[in-house]
Amino acid sequence: MKQALQAARRCSTSCANGALLAAAIATIGAAMGAFDRASAQTAFTLPAPPFELPVLPPASGTWTMMIGAEGRYRPSFEGADHNLFSPVPIFSIRRAGSVEQFRSPRDNISIALIDFGDLRAGPAGKFVPSRKASKYSELTGLGDVKAAFEAGGFIEYFPVDWFRVRNETRAGIGGHEGVVSDFSADFIVPVTRAVTISGGPRFTWESTKAVAPYFSIDAVQATAAGLPAFDAKGGAHSVGAGAQVKYRIDPQWEVHSYVEYERLLGDAAKSPLVTARGSVNQTTVGIGASYSFDFKIR
Amino acid sequence: MRTASRWAWIAIAVPLILGNGAQALFETRDAKLKSVKTLGIVSAIGDQFTYAKAGLTGLSNSPRSEPIGSWGLDDLIAQEVAKALSNRFQVQPVTYPRATFAAIQESAIGPVNLVRGDPFKKLVQTEVSPQGLDAYIIISKAKASFGGGNRKAEGVGMITYSTVLESIDLLHALYEVRVVDGKTFDLIEKLAAGPPGGVSNIRLPGPSLIIDSSFDKRDENLRRAIVDLILRSLPNTLSDMHLGNQEP
Repeated sequence: MKQALQAARRCSTSCANGALLAAAIATIGAAMGAFDRASAQTAFTLPAPPFELPVLPPASGTWTMMIGAEGRYRPSFEGADHNLFSPVPIFSIRRAGSVEQFRSPRDNISIALIDFGDLRAGPAGKFVPSRKASKYSELTGLGDVKAAFEAGGFIEYFPVDWFRVRNETRAGIGGHEGVVSDFSADFIVPVTRAVTISGGPRFTWESTKAVAPYFSIDAVQATAAGLPAFDAKGGAHSVGAGAQVKYRIDPQWEVHSYVEYERLLGDAAKSPLVTARGSVNQTTVGIGASYSFDFKIR
Repeated sequence: MRTASRWAWIAIAVPLILGNGAQALFETRDAKLKSVKTLGIVSAIGDQFTYAKAGLTGLSNSPRSEPIGSWGLDDLIAQEVAKALSNRFQVQPVTYPRATFAAIQESAIGPVNLVRGDPFKKLVQTEVSPQGLDAYIIISKAKASFGGGNRKAEGVGMITYSTVLESIDLLHALYEVRVVDGKTFDLIEKLAAGPPGGVSNIRLPGPSLIIDSSFDKRDENLRRAIVDLILRSLPNTLSDMHLGNQEP
């Protein structure tokens, strides 16, 4: 909690927003070019806000803003055998000099309210987009699944500086009302001061209420979809591995790339949606770039 | 008619009361500082030099500390702050148990800090003499995450960051400055000193410096580098807190 304000957000958007995003990136790129020429240190100075909340630390000082974009190529829906490209904006703001804590591509939005250095914990959340049956022929007759918001907590432990284990356990509201528990372990290897590679195994457990909306097929849906009825239960949901590489080209620019593979297990893997029309192998690939600059609040 | 008149008065009074309340609640720290005339300065950052390792480390990599009380960093800081603020405030000498102030640690559980309040408030009330000044400035060790892993750097020291292909030494002097109201003992302002303006891939959110392998790590050289970090960062920190002269 030393950093007064530190928030990192990566928000998924649909492909339809691609043109808008590209235009925004072009604008940001042009602006960043101007910042580069203007100053190598602080891009601009803002006046202090006209009022301050007593419980919050002052905004005065130097801050680092990071903006960027990531292209993500991921399964069109869970269990699909084809992928979809989606752009994801990157934005974070933090006290100048403060490092971004290590995060794996599977980490969701979280805040460390407890921070012993090697042990961190706090609330975590995830947005799960809706699944529209009309968008993919494989889903015809299966009905829509509403968007879900999962809220819960995370705990992570660094036994040494270069190894992290993490668990996120969240309960869903909306599209599903079950419990999802993600486990991951990452070896974090700094190759040089600019290049870091990381990776490790992943495992997900889901309750019946979290699996059923996406993988069960009732009698009506079975008739409409031409698939056998199936009652999906919870349990071990997926196992896999992930790896990422980050390259900090200079203090401003950073590029990163990752691959996350998971193999569906249990009733998710046995669902006719997957056995007849999808795949148990789910791979997500991402590549992105971000630009950081400092600004000052007086 | 009388009822309408009463409602009209209420309609005028409520916004005024709320406005005054909000003004008091949201009063800026700058405004609070305007009423401060007399100041006492407490400095407690420089009793230990910590050597730590980060990045690719062995399984046992606890930091080790060496006493550096003889470097006189706290006296130097108190003098420099007094010099920087003497144009605007009447700085008065104060006595305080330096080790007690240096031993203060914030809780690792964020909400506990919010509930408990600032740990230095009570110390200022009970341990600093004389009492009754308008405000007290406390300079203490700051703590910051380093390298994206579990390593935290604190106060004055050096981190050796090891990668597969290279090893980097980073000197740091992490400190934060508080202004505590001398009458109510409320915290008026608190800010950690920021990093130097230079560009680097390895950064800490505070005064720090990468030293190369040719740097002679004898005590006097380390002291000189740490003093330089502090002296260069103090004016900007005080300026960001609206205490000192504004940076041009």
